[in-house]
Amino acid sequence: MNIDQLKKISRQSFDINLQKANALKKAESDQILVYENHIFRADAETICFVRTASEGKDSFFMLDSNSNPVCITEPTDFLELLLQRNQSALNTYHQLYQNTKNRKV
Amino acid sequence: MTEGVLLYCFDTPQVSYSKITDRCISLIERNLDLPVTVITDADTKGRIKSNCDTRVIDVDKGNTKFSKPWYNLERHLAFDHSPYDRTVVMDVDYFCYSDKILRLLQSENDFLVHKSAHDVLHREEMRYDREAMLDLVWATVLIFDKTPRTRAIFDTVKLVKQNYVHYCNLYRITYKNFRNDYAFAIALNQINGHREYDVIPDSIATVPADAEILELNDNGAVIRYKDKTISLQDQDLHFLNKEVANV
Repeated sequence: MNIDQLKKISRQSFDINLQKANALKKAESDQILVYENHIFRADAETICFVRTASEGKDSFFMLDSNSNPVCITEPTDFLELLLQRNQSALNTYHQLYQNTKNRKV
Repeated sequence: MTEGVLLYCFDTPQVSYSKITDRCISLIERNLDLPVTVITDADTKGRIKSNCDTRVIDVDKGNTKFSKPWYNLERHLAFDHSPYDRTVVMDVDYFCYSDKILRLLQSENDFLVHKSAHDVLHREEMRYDREAMLDLVWATVLIFDKTPRTRAIFDTVKLVKQNYVHYCNLYRITYKNFRNDYAFAIALNQINGHREYDVIPDSIATVPADAEILELNDNGAVIRYKDKTISLQDQDLHFLNKEVANV
């Protein structure tokens, strides 16, 4: 390949990574969830913790996104909301990512 | 409890903020469905076309940015200006293309602000660690209840504004023109006993001043920088390019 082709590939890679970075930032915003008046991120870490902490329990304690303690009294409902918000955000991210990938030469 | 959005809009000789405000309000109506109150001056009021509550004040025109008029000296009065129990104050060039603000309004936090922002071109980190001895906050969006604590925050901002040179020296702030971001950062730092405070956990997507805005639609924007065209949809955007008034 000549230098122009290499530069073209480099530019395309930059553009794809830029679109991906913006889509990921959007997904992070979309994952914000307020439950019981507290702000949470519906991310994998929160979901895994809620699933683990709620096993066999009616209530448990955790921290919100600002490290304030919260007593979760309806773990099943909370987990359902977290999953909905997480999957909605990641579904959009997936679509944006696929669109970006498809534009790749 | 009443909830609503408070906007500050003052046209300058260079920028038609009233046009930007109209677009901002249409997106608030579409995506947040909240009442809007605009604080403005007598000249600008007649140019705001949206059907909203407007209140006229005498604006302090003392500040500049890049040698151009910058009427940003009223925000510390938002506590008194707001007719709502829970208020969202936002820059008129912050466009709500999502329901994020609506979600945040459900929280119990009596004062919320962003501590981070990013350039949608990802050219540089929008961090100011070396510009001051305290973390910057982005006063682009403020969410507050009317409580004694938030009254104290706004009163401290007032105090910072009156003695800005002193506070710049105290916190070694390199940017000497009055900036709400630093004034609120100082107030929050002081009222919270120089400790951490609650913030909005994501980052403001910022369209930089040198990006050309090709298109604005109901769901987002298409921008161009050099040979790159970027589509940003269904996410809140803060436009630093004031040409947004003419798109």
